[in-house]
Amino acid sequence: MPSEDTKERIAKVIEVGRTVFHYAWIPVIIYVGFTRSNPQPSLIKLISPLA
Amino acid sequence: MAETSPNPFIFPSYLPFSSTFNRFSQWRAELGLPNPGTVENLQKEVKATHLTNYAFDGGRADLTKSMSMNPLFQVTHSFALGSQSMPPSYNFGAIYASERVFLQGGVDHEGNVSARCNQGWTANHVSKMQAQISQQPGHNLLQLEHDYQGSDFNLNLKAANPWPTDLTGIFVGSYLQSITKNLALGTECVYQRPTPTTSDLVATYLAKYTSSDKSWIATAQIQPAGILQATYWHKLSEKVEFAADLQLMASPIRRDALATLGAKYDLRLSTFRAQLDSTGKVSALLEQRFTPTFAFLMSGEIDHFKNSAKVGVGVMIESSALSNEELEAQMMAMQQQQQQQSFPAPS
Repeated sequence: MPSEDTKERIAKVIEVGRTVFHYAWIPVIIYVGFTRSNPQPSLIKLISPLA
Repeated sequence: MAETSPNPFIFPSYLPFSSTFNRFSQWRAELGLPNPGTVENLQKEVKATHLTNYAFDGGRADLTKSMSMNPLFQVTHSFALGSQSMPPSYNFGAIYASERVFLQGGVDHEGNVSARCNQGWTANHVSKMQAQISQQPGHNLLQLEHDYQGSDFNLNLKAANPWPTDLTGIFVGSYLQSITKNLALGTECVYQRPTPTTSDLVATYLAKYTSSDKSWIATAQIQPAGILQATYWHKLSEKVEFAADLQLMASPIRRDALATLGAKYDLRLSTFRAQLDSTGKVSALLEQRFTPTFAFLMSGEIDHFKNSAKVGVGVMIESSALSNEELEAQMMAMQQQQQQQSFPAPS
């Protein structure tokens, strides 16, 4: 079993990872979608539903 | 889901027991049993016919914008207002799907993020991740899942909130095997470990019977503690489906039962679902498509015993960022790809 110190460190890493995931998940999907979609869309199409 | 693919798994001949296993594998492939589908999809047809997951109240507007069809990329803005059970909300969603990868994310007006990711390593192995992260510290959920589709069976392993140092969390393993061409039996074992010292194992036994012409499906889920859920789904014609669902709890502490009967009518431009409950609720849901971009939803529920009603109205607008020529080119590319390869099931 890992020591108390290691457990605390793992808990902190998981907490940081959770925060990063919380803020970065949607931007990652948007980035992947933008760069890999076939006709590469322009940025305005993301915000305005009419464009 | 019911494909017969008799390709036996052959072991090399220098391993012990390999000839016995090869003969067993050959016999099994010759039986030609269909794949029974996953345990999660055991009642998929019933859930699609009943409107329990689709009913809503208040006003709702969904604006979907697809930027690309071939690796599918869609952005959705959802607004909900005026509901008796939920506060007004705004939800932003994005979906990206290609052949092997499916990514979905949604963020709330309060900052709660929901995430889904499916990765198909091969046509049979799919790993899935589902997460819900909220601003409140205790409401986070992470679920990791791995699904294997054999030729006539399905194995699924899930871990919900696994904590790496002390292995607490909820672990679920499920296995569904086709016994004959119509009957599949399986089990789902839930191993709960809330603290490192306490743990609990609950097993559910499953059965699924599909008729030979695939027009009706009957399933049953039974837990020895006294919980039974039985469903029956029948496709009466191309346009009409009927489903019945019975949930019984017969433990010494609590005795409860709920029966639901529902029907779905798939017409050319609309889908209509109607449902009757044993708690005295009658509900209906209509989804009417006026143009390829505009659909109108109407949901109503009357509770006769409580004398209350809930009505919901919604619009769904789907616009595409592609011009007509680009849309046609992508449809053709998608059809060519479908002819050349087979997709893993991303859900």
